[in-house]
Amino acid sequence: MFDMHVIGRPHVVAATLALMLCAGAGALRAEIPPGFTRIFDGKTTKGWHFSGTVHHGTTGLATVTKDGILQLTQRPFGQGGLFITDKIYKNFHLYLEVKLPFASNSGIFLRSTEGGSAYQVELVQGGATGALIGEGLRLSQGIPAPDLTSIWKIDEFNAIEVRMEGDAPHITIWINGVKTGEVQEPRNDQIGGVVGGHIGLQLHWLDTYEPASVSGGGMSNAMKPGHPVEFRNIAVKELP
Amino acid sequence: MRFPLAVAASAAMLAVSGRADQTPAPAAPAAPAALTNSVGMEFIRIEPGTMQVGVFHPDCANGARSGGPGSGRAAAAAPAADGRAAAGVPGAGSPAAAPAGAPPGPGRGAPRDPRMAWDEADKAACEAATQADRSDGYPVTLKKPYLIGRTEVTQAQWMAVMGTNPSLFQGDRVTNPEKHPVEGVTWQDTQAFVKALNAKEKTTTYRLPTEFEWEYACRAGGPGQQTWTDIRSQAVLGLGLAGRGGGNRGGTPPAAAPAEPVAPETPAQYTARTGMTNEVGTKAPNAWGVYDMLGNVWEWVADPYNGKIFPDPTPPKSGAVHVLKGGGFASDVKNAICATHSFGPGDSFAVGFRIVKDLP
Repeated sequence: MFDMHVIGRPHVVAATLALMLCAGAGALRAEIPPGFTRIFDGKTTKGWHFSGTVHHGTTGLATVTKDGILQLTQRPFGQGGLFITDKIYKNFHLYLEVKLPFASNSGIFLRSTEGGSAYQVELVQGGATGALIGEGLRLSQGIPAPDLTSIWKIDEFNAIEVRMEGDAPHITIWINGVKTGEVQEPRNDQIGGVVGGHIGLQLHWLDTYEPASVSGGGMSNAMKPGHPVEFRNIAVKELP
Repeated sequence: MRFPLAVAASAAMLAVSGRADQTPAPAAPAAPAALTNSVGMEFIRIEPGTMQVGVFHPDCANGARSGGPGSGRAAAAAPAADGRAAAGVPGAGSPAAAPAGAPPGPGRGAPRDPRMAWDEADKAACEAATQADRSDGYPVTLKKPYLIGRTEVTQAQWMAVMGTNPSLFQGDRVTNPEKHPVEGVTWQDTQAFVKALNAKEKTTTYRLPTEFEWEYACRAGGPGQQTWTDIRSQAVLGLGLAGRGGGNRGGTPPAAAPAEPVAPETPAQYTARTGMTNEVGTKAPNAWGVYDMLGNVWEWVADPYNGKIFPDPTPPKSGAVHVLKGGGFASDVKNAICATHSFGPGDSFAVGFRIVKDLP
């Protein structure tokens, strides 16, 4: 079920046991919306791969639990990655569920290049979850982080939906069924005039290879050790 | 000692390992080209030597420091959701981002939750993980001198050899496209180029560099991890846009506002807004006078990818995926370092190469 690299982490084992208990109670697994197609099969990582050039890292670990949960873990600790679909999507409605440990830094990449230039819905437990930002992409217009106080469930899976349509995209974000942001971008912001790209799940980096930056650069509070970011029920409805 | 097996310590290397990186290194004087070939490619002669490859010394100190409110530097920094706008984190210097130390803004900043802080168990787990992963690497000796391109292969040079131009950033998308690096080339394309150039000059001495030849020339006597100051002085990053610094971010965008009608853009305006390669040789050279090893376009090297974070002492003999080095214009100070051991395909608009020439 788990790679040995993960088994060694006590936090992960504890979290896994807790999940198994939840699953036993029958409360774990939600279904995808009608008309959507699963793009993560719940058993394997088929159809997905890690970017080989993103700055977050290129050697991250993706594992699937027997409960159908995709876990992304830094490997080695401090080096993250970008786990992206093999397929290119242009206009689509994305549904997924995510569980974030505190201090995790993740995100949903939309119309991403192989190297990770993308529109991004930020996912940070304790931070700006739900904000729309650009990563390696000069975003014309963002969406500020919404107040999720009455919407977000800490230590549980949360459902996120993003609808993205148009060359200058219209982007709408829902969290747990509540619309938390919407923007009509004035222009296409993708490099080279491309429209469309991969859907990606970010696992942020923490550390440089050696402590050689101007002001540190190490372990920039983006991910606690031993806590994977978890996704499940990832599904897409492609739009014309 | 940080580099127990390291090479002859150069001044540049000592400056780096001593973290004396507050002052940008003076630009190296333009080294004379050892050779200019039939299509105007200039080459720098690289002397033999040794480097330590695969050094990995992650550090938990900042995580411990930046654990949350009241925990030192990060508490005074912008309470960015993900630490990205905290001092020293890529993106902090982008024009639209909140400056370090700024109060929470209405943008993407959300109140920082104290539960983000690392507790003692987190710090201990980090120490254990980083100690387990720590590596001092291994020495690699380059036994013979060789010539390496002073810059990435340009579109003009590619066209002079191949008669075509696969680059995205050509034509009316950029000014002086002939001086931009060629991109849109696969590893196989580079082999065709080398073959054609060798035929044109009736030689067999041109080829892609090995990863070690590339990295040795990139480091120019320093370590595999450059300082962010050096990276920003040497690398076209920040989407290749003027004033974008070394971060890769599109910048923290303004809060949502009513969309206004936008004027049509020319191809050049679109490119200048969204990102592009730059002409080669516009940033500072490294200590040996080589340009654009970091940033601008990723560069293919000869070696197949081994599936690991660092190269092995002996590279794989074959493989469908090849190693990419140095980062491109959409990369970040995080990975635009000489040690980065990435792999294809990358983004074709940000993938090019430079070549080496064997000496007799």
